[in-house]
Amino acid sequence: MTDSPPADRTTDDGDATGLEPWEVFRQEKEGDPMRHGGSVMAPDAILAVHYARELYGRRQESHRLWIVRRADVHDLDDPDLLNPPLDRSFKKPGGYVMRDKLAAARERSGQAKPKASSKSHRTTEPTR
Amino acid sequence: MTQSPAAADPTVDPGLRGPIAELLLSLADDEFVIGFSDSEWTGIAPLLEEDVAMSSIAQDELGHAKAFFDILADVLDDGRDGDALAYDREPDAYRHCRLVDGRRGDWAFAIVRRWLYDTADDVRLGALAGGTFGRLADLVAKIRREERYHLMHANAWFERLGHAGDDARRRFEAAWDRLAPTASTVFAPLEGEAALVAAGILAAPMATLDSRWRETVEPTLARLRLTAPPGPDGIERSRLDHSDDFRWLWEEFTSVRRIDRSATW
Repeated sequence: MTDSPPADRTTDDGDATGLEPWEVFRQEKEGDPMRHGGSVMAPDAILAVHYARELYGRRQESHRLWIVRRADVHDLDDPDLLNPPLDRSFKKPGGYVMRDKLAAARERSGQAKPKASSKSHRTTEPTR
Repeated sequence: MTQSPAAADPTVDPGLRGPIAELLLSLADDEFVIGFSDSEWTGIAPLLEEDVAMSSIAQDELGHAKAFFDILADVLDDGRDGDALAYDREPDAYRHCRLVDGRRGDWAFAIVRRWLYDTADDVRLGALAGGTFGRLADLVAKIRREERYHLMHANAWFERLGHAGDDARRRFEAAWDRLAPTASTVFAPLEGEAALVAAGILAAPMATLDSRWRETVEPTLARLRLTAPPGPDGIERSRLDHSDDFRWLWEEFTSVRRIDRSATW
């Protein structure tokens, strides 16, 4: 989302029909992370849930849905906070070379290298 | 629809075949006709999301109808498959109830009809779940899981229109006045229902289910200031006599079948 939450949702994102946008998050399988699926327009939470179910779940493609009123989402896209001008590369973990240390530690403990990371690990990576 | 096996269902007591067929036909035709009628909303529902929702519910009902027709084909064992039962009858041979017999109407009409039908159907399915005809009881258990969602959807809209003001409330009341007198036709007595009740296929006579349904909806009607539907009098022929509106719908839903009997998707 790039737009700010409207101060008055009935006159900004909402319109004369009384509809407003709701963001839908989907979990495909149990244990998967919730991912943003899209949005629906609805006049209230009950119908928003129905429409989310129809548009993002009627083909049995979702294990769980979260339906959030867009007006309740706190939006942050301020570049001063997210992309400050000074170099912050030292805050990234990429600066450390861990591979040899990890290999040595594994050898000492007799543990095998873990298998390729599952999808759910992606949630811990920094997003753009 | 796929060809059903040509052997009669061996689990059905031959003496119960008639009453079971009558019951299945009423269930199938109710779902089939309201499904087709509500599919008329595709493309013109009040908002895009609702368009998808109403169309999807209509499609669910046609799926339920197909499942009932398929069991019926095995019970009748007269060479007709589910498609033939659904499409190859003359309008007078349909056994849907009067509640679903009319034209689509406006949105308030569609919602009031859906709500009356879904609340009544819920009571009826409740009386079939756990019945002694295993195939039907199993199917009903599955259908009820979907109907739960239909009921939630109908309730949401019914409350919404019921609490609305001005034009919406006026249309809601007009739809109520037209449809409420036909609501009990869902429970129009079946000729063979005594045998079905005795055999444990149907938990109670239709008249009992009608009273049960009235108790269920009463609090909602009171809250929304609606008058209770008139009693179930004179409904004996309500699954036999159909309107011109239905004849029009029949022309629609049989049009492809009548052009080409072998047409498939």
